[in-house]
Amino acid sequence: MRTRGAILLATVVTGLGLGFTVTNIGFGDYAELNRMFTFQDPRMLLSFGGAVVIIACVFALLRVRRTPGRIHAGVIPGAVLFGTGWAISGGCPAIPIIQVAGGYLPALVTIVGVVVGIRLCRWSNGRYFHLDRGSCGL
Amino acid sequence: MTTYWPWWAGAVGLALVTVYYSLATDRSFGVSSAWDRVLHWRRERRLERMDEEFADNQALAEALAAATAEHFGTGPSAAQQVAHGQSWPHRADVHGQSWPQRADVEPPVSDAPTPTSVRPAPLVTQAALLVSIFLGGLIAAVTSGRFDLRLDMGPGFRSLVTADPTMMIVLLFTGGVLVGFGTRLAGGCSSGHGLNGCGRLSPVSIVATAVFFGTAAAVSFLLWKVF
Repeated sequence: MRTRGAILLATVVTGLGLGFTVTNIGFGDYAELNRMFTFQDPRMLLSFGGAVVIIACVFALLRVRRTPGRIHAGVIPGAVLFGTGWAISGGCPAIPIIQVAGGYLPALVTIVGVVVGIRLCRWSNGRYFHLDRGSCGL
Repeated sequence: MTTYWPWWAGAVGLALVTVYYSLATDRSFGVSSAWDRVLHWRRERRLERMDEEFADNQALAEALAAATAEHFGTGPSAAQQVAHGQSWPHRADVHGQSWPQRADVEPPVSDAPTPTSVRPAPLVTQAALLVSIFLGGLIAAVTSGRFDLRLDMGPGFRSLVTADPTMMIVLLFTGGVLVGFGTRLAGGCSSGHGLNGCGRLSPVSIVATAVFFGTAAAVSFLLWKVF
């Protein structure tokens, strides 16, 4: 069991590392992102895919077990909406934060949109869908 | 202004961050999940208080069971076994998202705590994650010479999407809503499903990542070649 302070410290280090790395890869740059998604430049795709391969190998070596997960009714529609929004705005939930940090002030509008979307999902799920959506992050 | 990192440096950087967090906290991180919890902080605080109360009750039950066992010189009593066997309460009914009971999860390969058998990271750490991502991005932008205060999203967005400021605001907002709604409906984003979930070979994360990358590629091709 980790203490609250230790988890907080690890989270801050992780956030700093993630923001620093993602910015230096170029995920905040709309032109770079479009070149990745249209396979004109595989650099960022290889960064992401390479990271997944390294993580999978390390977790296998350390015997970190697989996460049980159920493919519920919200996964595919949710992923389609997310992919569409990512391609249009250039931001997944972390990217607008680093775009603002890099000086792209209109990304604040993307953040407002993300906030509205998250609240809308929670509200509509409770009212209409009633999906046990799960959460990848704890 | 320096150039962006080569692919291998980016891969190592992302992997280091993900593995470090997992080993340091016994958890996995997800930025959309952090947003969700921070935005619903009142409910999260209430749940944290319930968890703390539950932990206090469990500690009391364990102490009583240990004292009873010591007094009568016996092994672990039934009460102690019950105390140890209790799982964290299922949070789905009040939380709106799953929080698996121990009985729901597969037996772990190792004895180490796993990301699904521990309590959620404290709420304050989720807010800290979002703030520190901003600070990390700021440090990277300043040190690389790319920091530039501007009222547009750069030449790429102007040429591929729109140069009209009003349309830009509309599209960024719409895109943001789709990202927020979609990630929460799918249960994760590129960090949670993409890095942490795929790294753990979770089937749901592999499917979600394939679908959101595929959709983003299709929409990007449309923006590039059609519109």
